[in-house]
Amino acid sequence: MSGVNLSGIVKAYGAVEVVHGINLDVAEKEFVVLVGPSGCGKSTTLRMIAGLEEITAGNLMIDGRRMNRIAPKDRDVAMVFQNYALYPHLNVADNMAFGLRIRKMPKAEIATTIADVAEILGLTNYLERRPADLSGGQRQRVAMGRAIVRHPKVFLFDEPLSNLDAKLRTQMRAEIKRLHNRLGVTSIYVTHDQVEAMTLADRIVVMNDGAIEQVGTPMELFNHPANTFVAGFLGSPPMNQMKGVLTEHGAKIGDTEIKFDGFANGQAGRDVIVGIRPEHVTLAAGEQTSALPIELDLVEPLGSEALLHARFGNDNVVFKADTKGDIQHLSGVGEVYVPAPLIKLFDAETGHALNAKG
Amino acid sequence: MVQGNTPAPGSAIESVEDTPDTLHDTFTDSRGSRLYDHFKREWQIYVMLLPTIVWFLVFLYKPMYGLQIAFKDYSIFRGVANSPWIGLEHFETLFSNDQFIRAVTNTIKISALNLLFGFPAPIILALMFNEILHATYKKTAQTIVYLPHFISSVIIAGIVITAFSPTAGIVNTIIGWFGLDPVYFLTQPQWFRPIFVGTGIWQEAGFGSIVFLAAIAGVNPSLYESAVVDGANRWQMMWKITIPSILPTILIMLIIRIGNIMEVSFELVILLYHPATYETADVVNTWVYRQGLQSGQYDLAAAAGLFNAVVAFVLVMTANTLSRRFSQTSLW
Ligand SMILES: Nc1ncnc2c1ncn2[C@@H]1O[C@H](COP(=O)(O)OP(=O)(O)OP(=O)(O)O)[C@@H](O)[C@H]1O
Ligand SMILES: [Mg+2]
Repeated sequence: MSGVNLSGIVKAYGAVEVVHGINLDVAEKEFVVLVGPSGCGKSTTLRMIAGLEEITAGNLMIDGRRMNRIAPKDRDVAMVFQNYALYPHLNVADNMAFGLRIRKMPKAEIATTIADVAEILGLTNYLERRPADLSGGQRQRVAMGRAIVRHPKVFLFDEPLSNLDAKLRTQMRAEIKRLHNRLGVTSIYVTHDQVEAMTLADRIVVMNDGAIEQVGTPMELFNHPANTFVAGFLGSPPMNQMKGVLTEHGAKIGDTEIKFDGFANGQAGRDVIVGIRPEHVTLAAGEQTSALPIELDLVEPLGSEALLHARFGNDNVVFKADTKGDIQHLSGVGEVYVPAPLIKLFDAETGHALNAKG
Repeated sequence: MVQGNTPAPGSAIESVEDTPDTLHDTFTDSRGSRLYDHFKREWQIYVMLLPTIVWFLVFLYKPMYGLQIAFKDYSIFRGVANSPWIGLEHFETLFSNDQFIRAVTNTIKISALNLLFGFPAPIILALMFNEILHATYKKTAQTIVYLPHFISSVIIAGIVITAFSPTAGIVNTIIGWFGLDPVYFLTQPQWFRPIFVGTGIWQEAGFGSIVFLAAIAGVNPSLYESAVVDGANRWQMMWKITIPSILPTILIMLIIRIGNIMEVSFELVILLYHPATYETADVVNTWVYRQGLQSGQYDLAAAAGLFNAVVAFVLVMTANTLSRRFSQTSLW
């Protein structure tokens, strides 16, 4: 069981508490992604797991052992850093061998391990090169290789792809996923990119301001965000959130009434936030849809679909629409339709999701 | 086949070949006008450079005119230009002069000791400072070792002479505790070199460590973090990360040092030596000083100085070439 277990983990720098008691269970072989805006404490949390930061309070267990006071080298974790942290004076093979030599692995064994891992990562032809003579993607692979050769219980990644350009990032993302499927090592991955989080994670941990907002599979978080923060963080473009008031048959946003069932019993008049995902609206009325009158501002074609930037009452909203190969027909749009079952409601004060009752 | 306005294949190729030339003519300015633009844009930088250029011209290039007296029978009454040429006679005199040969040997021996002990000292000091974790303690220790650099050589020599004095010096006092007779350190030739090199280290090692500390500060901290996770201890991190990372700086400093091999700190020798210790203490510079300024043999002194400079030049060129060949690091 090489799971990782955090309970009540706190980090304070002097009087400033930056991580406020995190609870998280990462199962063996699971790929968990910590995601959140800049400065929310993702790196700090990861570095506490690695042992690079002291844990102020709480318990960290790896593989059933308490790790708070165990030196990083004895935690059996390997970390991949954002800037790769490759030794500039060593070639690729020596970079990968560094940790193994420190651990006094026999020479022959080091050689075969390096050869195997280089093969997996497609680095066989670059073993003699120095990091300075590699491309960004290759350096990234060496950094991964250095972690893989150690056969650790847990991989820790701190934004390993953020120094790559968009295309390479997509490619490496897929490679990391494949690698994880192949090696099956418990992994904790930090990113601020929600697309990376969605695509890589078995489970996503959304963090904000030193605390966890929600933990769940990518689809759980996407379909059932626990609060407005998660709703606004995952999905691109993010969910439209508009202030409204519950009515007998749905909710009123400004002068427009959106009809849906399930919330009405006795709650009419309650202030809510109505969430509508950009991709859930249609251009034609259907069953159980309500019309939203919009003032179209800008159409951004993306190819097969286009983003409609518009004003709805006092809110700026963004919707997605199919182009069907042409954006001409989108320029005159004055109304979109929201299907009732896909509407999300949140409490206006707390931001917590409201669940339909009966 | 549609013909119409479509150009024939041949002409299309021609026009492709045309383009670069046209671009060349239109957009590439002449060298002169580019230089003019460059100066017009960057003149402030050249103005700032001017004092340095003037300094070099006045103090280093203009005196080179006088260097010709190394090949002349110079007399102050005839002047530099009117003294007769005598070829390499002064150099012959020099190399048949035992005192000069001794000065060259002494210079090389002192420099070798300096290189052996004086060069690594600031590096070791910097590595040691780097291991001090307590910030205040580190700063205090650094300040203390920088201090001697800011003290004039005259005072440094005074301190050394006092410390090694046979009557009141602390060194002889300590020797006295063991019931031994006082040693006349500064009049005994065998003590001159250790004392001289030691004084140099005491005076300059701290200040010299700044360069290496700066180089250490430039090492990417995540290299150390990665090594910590990999299981390296502090000793391994020093050998496998810190030292290789500052190696280029070490090599550059070594090249500079080798270029200065013939320049043993003249003031400090003058202040510490004594006719009784000339045997080990007299170096080329002090010999030149005595011959030139004290005995008035300017032409012979100039020849010795020129010899010194040529040796230094060859050394620095060699060191630079070797360093470039073996470590891709070089001064130029
Ligand atoms: N040494 C420190 N002293 C004081 N505060 C710190 C220190 N290191 C980090 N912090 C604070 O802790 C908070 C969390 O930092 P952390 O590096 O974990 O953020 P992050 O979520 O990784 O952000 P990013 O996406 O920008 O990397 C930040 O507000 C930061 O200012
Ligand atoms: Mg971070």
